[in-house]
Amino acid sequence: MTDTLSGTKPSRPPFWRDVRVLRVVAQVVAAVTVVLTVRYLLNNLVGNLNAVGISTKFDFLGSPARFPVKDSNFSPDSTISALIWKGVQNTAASAFVGIALALVIGVVVGVGRLSTNWVVRKLSTLYVETLRNIPPLVIIIFFGFAIFTFGPFSPFTPASPPGEIKFPGTDATLLMYSNQRLGIPSIATGQNSGIFWILLLVALVVAGVVWRWRTRVNIDTGEPHRRVRYSLATFLGLGVVAFVALGAPISGSFPEVSESGRLIVGGLDTNNSYVSVTIALALYTGSHIAEIVRGSILAVPKGQNEASNALALSGFQRYRFVVLPQAARIAMPPTINQFLNLTKNTSLAAAVAYPDLTQVVRTAIGNDQPSPQMVLILMGCYLSFSLFISVILNVVNRRFQLAGR
Amino acid sequence: MINTGKTSTRKRTAVAVVALGLVVGACSSSSGDGDDAVETETVPTAPADDDAIVPDGTGAPTDTEAPDDSAPTSDEVEVVQSEGGRLAAVQEAGVIRCGANDALPGFGVIDSAGDYAGFDIDLCRAVAAGVLGDADAVEYVPLTADARFPALQSGEVDLIIRNTTWTASRDGGQGGNFLFTTFYDGQGVMVPESSGITDLEGLADATICVLSGTTTELNLSSVFTARGIPYTPSVYDDNTTLQPAYEQGQCEAWTADASALASGKSAIEGNGGETQFIIPEVISKEPLGPVVADGDTEWASAVEWSVMATVQAWEFGLDSTNIAEYSGDDPSILTFIGQGDDVASGLGLPTDYAVQVVSQVGNYQEIYTTHIEPIGLALEGSPNNLWTEGGLMYVPPFR
Repeated sequence: MTDTLSGTKPSRPPFWRDVRVLRVVAQVVAAVTVVLTVRYLLNNLVGNLNAVGISTKFDFLGSPARFPVKDSNFSPDSTISALIWKGVQNTAASAFVGIALALVIGVVVGVGRLSTNWVVRKLSTLYVETLRNIPPLVIIIFFGFAIFTFGPFSPFTPASPPGEIKFPGTDATLLMYSNQRLGIPSIATGQNSGIFWILLLVALVVAGVVWRWRTRVNIDTGEPHRRVRYSLATFLGLGVVAFVALGAPISGSFPEVSESGRLIVGGLDTNNSYVSVTIALALYTGSHIAEIVRGSILAVPKGQNEASNALALSGFQRYRFVVLPQAARIAMPPTINQFLNLTKNTSLAAAVAYPDLTQVVRTAIGNDQPSPQMVLILMGCYLSFSLFISVILNVVNRRFQLAGR
Repeated sequence: MINTGKTSTRKRTAVAVVALGLVVGACSSSSGDGDDAVETETVPTAPADDDAIVPDGTGAPTDTEAPDDSAPTSDEVEVVQSEGGRLAAVQEAGVIRCGANDALPGFGVIDSAGDYAGFDIDLCRAVAAGVLGDADAVEYVPLTADARFPALQSGEVDLIIRNTTWTASRDGGQGGNFLFTTFYDGQGVMVPESSGITDLEGLADATICVLSGTTTELNLSSVFTARGIPYTPSVYDDNTTLQPAYEQGQCEAWTADASALASGKSAIEGNGGETQFIIPEVISKEPLGPVVADGDTEWASAVEWSVMATVQAWEFGLDSTNIAEYSGDDPSILTFIGQGDDVASGLGLPTDYAVQVVSQVGNYQEIYTTHIEPIGLALEGSPNNLWTEGGLMYVPPFR
């Protein structure tokens, strides 16, 4: 560029000062260094393992695990790869429910910290400052031991049946609790249930169409859209029709104590470990998300608030339609980060005997599966988890960001 | 915009190059599994010993003359650790790194004074006394059950004495070299007496507490599966979290080696907890003993004979109080205490090593009585008694 400005004949600098060449060279050198280092380390590992007669192959993945996994249908005859898959499922079960809870907690508390109500504001601050400054492992252990092990719940044995809360006036159990297993009602599927789910999906689509129709009516004529009411009525109406037409394809399933007096049959049952890990991580991550939400709300320009007030929007409307949509755009990237943290923190679950991915891998290593390969697989799994979550959320994020421009 | 676009394309190319390189590297190393050429390339600093190319170093057991020519030079230490010479390395360091348990009363636990104490701990001390002449020259490395073999393989510890069961797969696949069995154990199941459970069948569908990464997990699974008893394992990292969970009824039964159960029983009852009942059915064989890494027979011999000296002393009727003053003329005993034929130096040990072991730590009976009897396991009538008394403690002759 300077050449053209000064008008002299353009001449290339020598290659060792040419930025374009240097960039390529630097990248090649970096790549070669990384490859050689990794290669050296791998060879070193393989060589040393061979020297002491330890297999470096991956064929152990097809051999049977020989031990069962807590509260699952995993049979000891299943392979190591099935075991790892089981661990992935358990980790996902904890991570995804934890993420959903953390998000709700985070938004509520984050808004609460900016509330004009003194009590709400102080309580939110207390929550954030406490939970955020305690390591997640300590919170998990607190839930596992203070709430469940030494808490108010009784054991679950033939001699001591679990506590039950019934639906008022019926025999159906709403909640079954002990210091070990918990049960809640769920849905039992009967005949035609497959068709029923499909019809429900259709009803959902129709409700969506109604939603758009009402929105258009509102835009065209200015008459109130009432789209929530209309859509809900459509969905429920179609659902009830399908339910009746198919002859009650689904029914309620309620937890009951099994014949042996040690398990819960019916309903949805879970155990203290899962609840401890999931709630503890949701509370911990929720406190971080609350701070992100608060910061993002404060980052929305003051003029937006003033404009909403000028339009006579109520407090709720101001948040719902003006502030939160803009704050969400700011909050999105750091919140994704928190989701990844929560997912990775599930590896602390072993402290309360939850068979997450890390725990089953460690158990397998303890039962003579080769540790270098298993740890490599473990790292690969967590990497996939993180990449999966960030890919999905980044797509969402991109759509979000563009909508504002 | 265009600029950033270019950079990111370049970045992608670079990443692709790196990834390709990784794949190439990984492939070439995994294809070299059965190939001796790769091994000689990756272990370049051990050319002196042709046996090194044979992966399984234990193929040469009669290696007692080797110690003098395998003295390590400083730049060889890394490789030497897996190929031999650990004895010299330990003697140079002046301390033994012993992988230990820190949460199993009787075997290995940190006592109220903050010191390690227990049966296994005393055996670590015995090795230190034998090899270095000082029973206190031990650095204890607390290991969880599933961390012990990786620690041994990586050379983080010189040996493990941590209630470790000798199994074929650990001896083979995990690269462990199991030595003299110091404690014959068997797996049991413990329940609170008030539960009224008296046999394994009474535990159908029950949650059973078990430690992570132990043989007990597999035994439990195979025994219960074979008998068709469904159960749920609840896997804990260590006894400090398992025991409260068990005491509070989060699991109805606790399975572990009988010795560990006895230790747990005495701990629970000693704290005023419920009376415990150990189901009188031993579901497995659990021979516990010291483990060193495969491929160093010299170090293995030094450890093994140091440990066996405690049993031999017991057999000779020598203990920590009288071994130093022995004034008899029994030639076997004189050899044992280093005043007869010199057998110890062939093992790479000082001639008086047995005296050091026994006078500083004690004989097997003393160690057992100090640590194991308080948790409720009598020596009398157990397999851990001396062979002359009907037990299994039998050591090769010192001559």
